[in-house]
Amino acid sequence: MEERNKFNWAGWLSFGFLLLLWELGSRSVPKLQLFIPPVSQVSTALAQLTVAGPIAEHFTITVSRFAAGYFLSAALGVSLGIILGYFRSLHSLVEILIEVLRPMPSVAIIPVAVLMLGIGDSMIVAVTVYATVWPILINTLDGVRHIEEMLIQTGRTFGLSQRKILWQVILPAASPYIGTGLRIGLSIALILVTTAEMVAGSKGLGFFILDEERSMNSSNMYAGILVVAVLGYIINRLFLLLEAKIMKWHHGMMTRQTA
Amino acid sequence: MRPAKLNGLLFLLSLLIVWELVTEARWVNPLVVPPLSRILRIFWELVISGQIPWQIAVSMKRAALGYLLAAAVFIPLGIIMGLSQSVHRALEVVIEMLRPVPPPVVIPVALLFFGIEDEMKIFVIFFSCAWPMLLNTIDGVRGLDWVLLNTAKTFRLSRAKTMWQVVLPAASPQIVTGLRVSLPIMLILVVISEMVGSTDGIGYFILDSQRRFKVAQMYAGMLALAILGYTLNQTFNLLYRSLLSWHWGMMRRVE
Repeated sequence: MEERNKFNWAGWLSFGFLLLLWELGSRSVPKLQLFIPPVSQVSTALAQLTVAGPIAEHFTITVSRFAAGYFLSAALGVSLGIILGYFRSLHSLVEILIEVLRPMPSVAIIPVAVLMLGIGDSMIVAVTVYATVWPILINTLDGVRHIEEMLIQTGRTFGLSQRKILWQVILPAASPYIGTGLRIGLSIALILVTTAEMVAGSKGLGFFILDEERSMNSSNMYAGILVVAVLGYIINRLFLLLEAKIMKWHHGMMTRQTA
Repeated sequence: MRPAKLNGLLFLLSLLIVWELVTEARWVNPLVVPPLSRILRIFWELVISGQIPWQIAVSMKRAALGYLLAAAVFIPLGIIMGLSQSVHRALEVVIEMLRPVPPPVVIPVALLFFGIEDEMKIFVIFFSCAWPMLLNTIDGVRGLDWVLLNTAKTFRLSRAKTMWQVVLPAASPQIVTGLRVSLPIMLILVVISEMVGSTDGIGYFILDSQRRFKVAQMYAGMLALAILGYTLNQTFNLLYRSLLSWHWGMMRRVE
């Protein structure tokens, strides 16, 4: 445990060494530069793109599509999951439908979405929602089904209303599962947004990266990838922070219950 | 059959019938959603003509190569990183830097290096299966009971024997989990990379059908993909169970 908190000198050293190797290797072999431009060149490109504006524009577009897709999926997935988890008969009705729809890789829905919605924002958001809803829905469903019947019965015995049972019993008890689903959904949503932008987009970071590759601007391409990686990292970190806060409350709640 | 399951089947069946009736009545644009019967007929024709089996074979070759290559590299690396704290610390930062990159974003890089050849897809799959395989293997090895390792030492087992008879069997459930989690990732990435840069394969086939407005053919391709995904999953689950039953048997003997 103690070791974990120490600064990882070896790790950062080897990372720095790799960057140095990249820089020197690329500088000494000009043939390579088309594929792997020196790190310094990539950072200059990133700085230029940021100052001149295109990166910021694509970034904003991607983030807003991501946010729209993700929050829609979260709302839809959690509420559907609770409904299906709570009403068993409804679940048994759609269980097979879910089993039939799930094995198809979600990205295959992109051509259908293009056909129905064209190649605008709504297509990308729709595709993201289709893919992201699954893990959130399935995990929420699992969470609700794992709640001990006794908790709900106790709630009823104390005369809690349906709404109170939902907010004060079901949601708190299922929250660890819901959290897992929401976390998995995060990376899936980012994958779907960038994929849809690559396959059928005219804007956004996914489009930008592929477009720069096609015009052989590899420095710009790497700069774009760096931005997406940072975006992915930040999103994940933010989520973990939030989750830790909420879960702290959850653990407090659970211990109070057992005490 | 459970009555609940029967209800589900009936519900699905009635949805399909509604689909057929609504589309036959032309309530929706047949250029967007064609009748189910037409999709099934075209699917069958494409299967008979060998078109769909061939596209799937092309995709699966790429997928399998990328997947196996990733397993061959990242499971051994995961074992080394699980056993050696110093190797783990040396590589940790690099891995943490690469991990947040969403896999599809690697496609342009692979395009730059390999063009639209098979190697491009293989590399993309290799990269995206890397993390679940590596991280699960590390976890599995780290969760190893140290008594096992010390016992092996006491019995003066050679390094190779310790590896094959102690470390691998004990970490295998986690390793297999990594392999299982990578399976859908593999399928998704082969489809995406074929959509972005390819001239064949099931991902290309679906997107190309849409671009030529052969809509029923597009849905037939999606159906094929769904069947493929389902079959892959079931096959792996069968393998998984037999592998794990061996594992549990082994563990019992150890106890």
